[in-house]
Amino acid sequence: MAVPKVPQENIRNFCIVAHIDHGKSTLADRLLEQTGTVSSREMKQQLLDDMELERERGITIKARAVVLYYDRDGKTYELNLIDTPGHVDFHYEVSRSLTCCEGALLLVDAFQGVEAQTVANGFAAMEHNLAVVPVINKIDLSHARPDEVAEEMEHSLAVEQEAIVRVSAKAGIGIGELLDAIIDQIPPPSGDPSKPLQAMVFDSHYDDYRGAITYVRIMDGVVRKGQKIRFLKGESTHEVMELGQFAPQQRACEELRAGQVGYLVCNIKSIDDVHIGDTISLPGDNAAPALPGYKPPQRMVYCGLYPSDGQDFTELRDALTKLAINDPSFEFEAETSEALGFGFRCGFLGLLHMEIIQQRLEQESDIDLVQTAPNVTYEIVTKRGETLQIHRPQEVPDAGEIEEFRQPIVRVSLIQPTEYIGPVMKLCQDRRGVLNGQEYLSPTRTMLTYELPLAEVIYDLHDKLKSVTRGYGTMNYEVIGYFPADLARLDILVNGNRVDALSFICNKGDADRRGRAVVKTLKKEIERHMFEVAVQAAIGTRVIARETVSALRKNVTAKCYGGDISRKRKLWAKQKEGKKRMKSIGSVDIPQKAFMAVLDTGEGNKK
Amino acid sequence: MTTNSRFAPPRAAYIHVPFCRHRCGYCNFTLIAGRDDLVDSYLQAITRELSWLETPREVDTLFIGGGTPTHLTCEQLQQLCATITEWFPLADGHEASVEANPLDLTIEKVDLLASYGLNRISLGAQSFSASKLALLERDHRREQIVSAFEAARETMQSVSLDLIFGVPDETLDNWEIDLKLALGLSPDHVSTYGLMFERGTSFWSRLMKEDLTQVAEEVERQMYLAAIHRLTQADFEQYEVSNFARPGHRCRHNEVYWAGETYFAAGPGAARYIDGRRETNHRSTTTYLNRVLANQSPVAESETLDAEDSARERLVFGLRRLEGVDRGGFATATGFEIDQLVGKPLSKFAHAKLLEDDGSRIRMTQEGLLVSDSIWPEFLRR
Repeated sequence: MAVPKVPQENIRNFCIVAHIDHGKSTLADRLLEQTGTVSSREMKQQLLDDMELERERGITIKARAVVLYYDRDGKTYELNLIDTPGHVDFHYEVSRSLTCCEGALLLVDAFQGVEAQTVANGFAAMEHNLAVVPVINKIDLSHARPDEVAEEMEHSLAVEQEAIVRVSAKAGIGIGELLDAIIDQIPPPSGDPSKPLQAMVFDSHYDDYRGAITYVRIMDGVVRKGQKIRFLKGESTHEVMELGQFAPQQRACEELRAGQVGYLVCNIKSIDDVHIGDTISLPGDNAAPALPGYKPPQRMVYCGLYPSDGQDFTELRDALTKLAINDPSFEFEAETSEALGFGFRCGFLGLLHMEIIQQRLEQESDIDLVQTAPNVTYEIVTKRGETLQIHRPQEVPDAGEIEEFRQPIVRVSLIQPTEYIGPVMKLCQDRRGVLNGQEYLSPTRTMLTYELPLAEVIYDLHDKLKSVTRGYGTMNYEVIGYFPADLARLDILVNGNRVDALSFICNKGDADRRGRAVVKTLKKEIERHMFEVAVQAAIGTRVIARETVSALRKNVTAKCYGGDISRKRKLWAKQKEGKKRMKSIGSVDIPQKAFMAVLDTGEGNKK
Repeated sequence: MTTNSRFAPPRAAYIHVPFCRHRCGYCNFTLIAGRDDLVDSYLQAITRELSWLETPREVDTLFIGGGTPTHLTCEQLQQLCATITEWFPLADGHEASVEANPLDLTIEKVDLLASYGLNRISLGAQSFSASKLALLERDHRREQIVSAFEAARETMQSVSLDLIFGVPDETLDNWEIDLKLALGLSPDHVSTYGLMFERGTSFWSRLMKEDLTQVAEEVERQMYLAAIHRLTQADFEQYEVSNFARPGHRCRHNEVYWAGETYFAAGPGAARYIDGRRETNHRSTTTYLNRVLANQSPVAESETLDAEDSARERLVFGLRRLEGVDRGGFATATGFEIDQLVGKPLSKFAHAKLLEDDGSRIRMTQEGLLVSDSIWPEFLRR
């Protein structure tokens, strides 16, 4: 297909923001198909599969960009669709996409209605001054309730009901009207091609053959093949070897002009040399000013990853390095634990991000991992006035040295059918939440806003919300800052030995309950030994809970004759293999699962 | 077949007879119930399988187990004994055992067995209590144990009783009564087995459905200790985890297994150990019959252990015997020093008083034996 030359006033840069599963990928596919970017035959194999893979992998969800051409009234329009991830963990990626666009399609499921990420992403788009095109999807479903959903959108997002485009991405209904709305309601980009080059780096990925592929939005000026460019923040100069657009595969072209979105290949050997949010301009004195860039991703959750067999340390480091290359939001550094030996402290955007990384590690390398329970980053102001960032409980100094112990607080929006409001409020109050606001989106749906300690949110709030609302509740959160709280480090002792990897930080008011719950869970996880095993929880020297794993009293195979010998030997040898996967502390074997026991909140024991 | 100098040719043989009147709820052995029509094919197959030995092999010990060997009719039993002793002629001073069900063991059968040189009966008494026998789904009663025992006693050199303990709802007192009644018969040998719930048995599914409840571990421990106590008081020697003998009445055939020596085997599910190679015949009686009668090998599984694994195995099964393992003898037999193989766990367990080590001989303490299944993994590898 010949690439048309499109004047700047016919370019539209937009993204689709939606709650997860509201049909964003299907809509993107339909737009690709309807504009002839991808033939319907290629359709399935190409974008869908690719995205499914990405959805499965979660974190590699890139702010991908696809160019679509659409002819209307004798004019050709270039529509750049910049995709955004839907999960709350990847919120920062959403804002990256938004800065490259002039408009956003705000997509809402005609049955599910407005949900937490709809609101969060919708407001984010408005904060970036984007033209918002409200869309209701899945109107063909038999249980669709588009009128109510339109009302919810008006209430929660202040969009006018008449402006809402109603579509079914799956059935291809309303796509023409949507394309019209994109062209009519989203302004063209405002850059000046005659000014010095100024381009925003909004993503990158690493290609084994061509090095780093840099994703750019040209704000001003023009970039051409063979031209020298400079990364202003990276302070490096490169020659553009190739440039092009995604259609959706990389398609090389001669130049990218102000307002366009595409990629650059500059023979950059390491992805570390490409900084997301950097500005590309010209070398020398004529450079454009740097763009504000992005806030670096904030790692909110940390956990330790240890090879169960100490020998695999190097292998684990290689595997982590490989993962970090295409996921700059993931970081790790070597650490040592008395209990677990050599391993790594790893930082993640959130719990989902952590799960994805761990899953990938297990899939892509053959290392048995012991994972410590995740924790958030705390702040401690010492008596001497220093502020410490606490990424792991072991770093908490003695109580006497602490002036102030602070924890991250988040503002959580929870949207659910009004009938579930009671259980949801209880859920938040049990987690020391402070109610900020309550808003009726429609007669049947309510949004609650709470301030909650992040630590209380990341572990299981989402799961619990789903369970008390039968799956209808959704949530989103943003960090509002660090605030002092009455916190303490709780230690776990196994037969008198403190297991550093089991220590955790909790509110003193919850310490008894948490301590009891954790030792109880540990009692269940630790198999009986040939001796008694005492499991204790303590703050400082004060023991607050104790459980005993009783000793084995009888464990002996009675019958062992000719045919039993092989069978028994194999069975016992297999048990030995199982033991290898455990961590031996003192002479107590602790299974991997036990290191997650500290997440047990003990809610079951509450009155 | 190449001969491995580490392994002497077998002087022991095991024959499996799979037939039973019915399958008891706890039993997962290789057996077939209610298919007496297959006995003739079985006799044909055993004869065929044994003929593959090519020449008769003299043995010191023979064990005919089951199933229920005595479930066969006199005529069938006679055929079986004839073919077995043809291929496995019994050496002077031999021990030849047969497992027997109290209900089947008549004077005629005992005499028949004796005429072929069988001189040891292992009687599946299990219990003398009517309710316990009913729960175990056994088809005999106390009086039948007594008469079968007496029949065997007449002719046999050695009579052994099998007893089960730890049956659901059984108390320590109930078990003590069983032990007392067993000792009252003055057997030469007793085997006591804690009831195991094995996958694939009806007891297992009943346990899962909570239709049966396991006896508490502490009670089982007390029962096992009571057996050791009662039997040793009555001049029995505990020579293996589950086996007790009056002087001169140990089961020499079973000692072959535990000492890591070699043995022949024939019949469905039977396991042999020859030249360092373990082979197990197919557990399904019909598959076994089909294969052998079509002149195909009935072997379903086989493995050849390397020197180290077979040394480790010898150590574990040796330690299940109360006399333990002698360092020098072990090194001579296996080419490995015990300390080189398991030095670290050995000293750990010795320190915990789970085993005794006088520098030359290692043996389990009673406490060690009680939890020995948790010890063995540390003596084995992968």
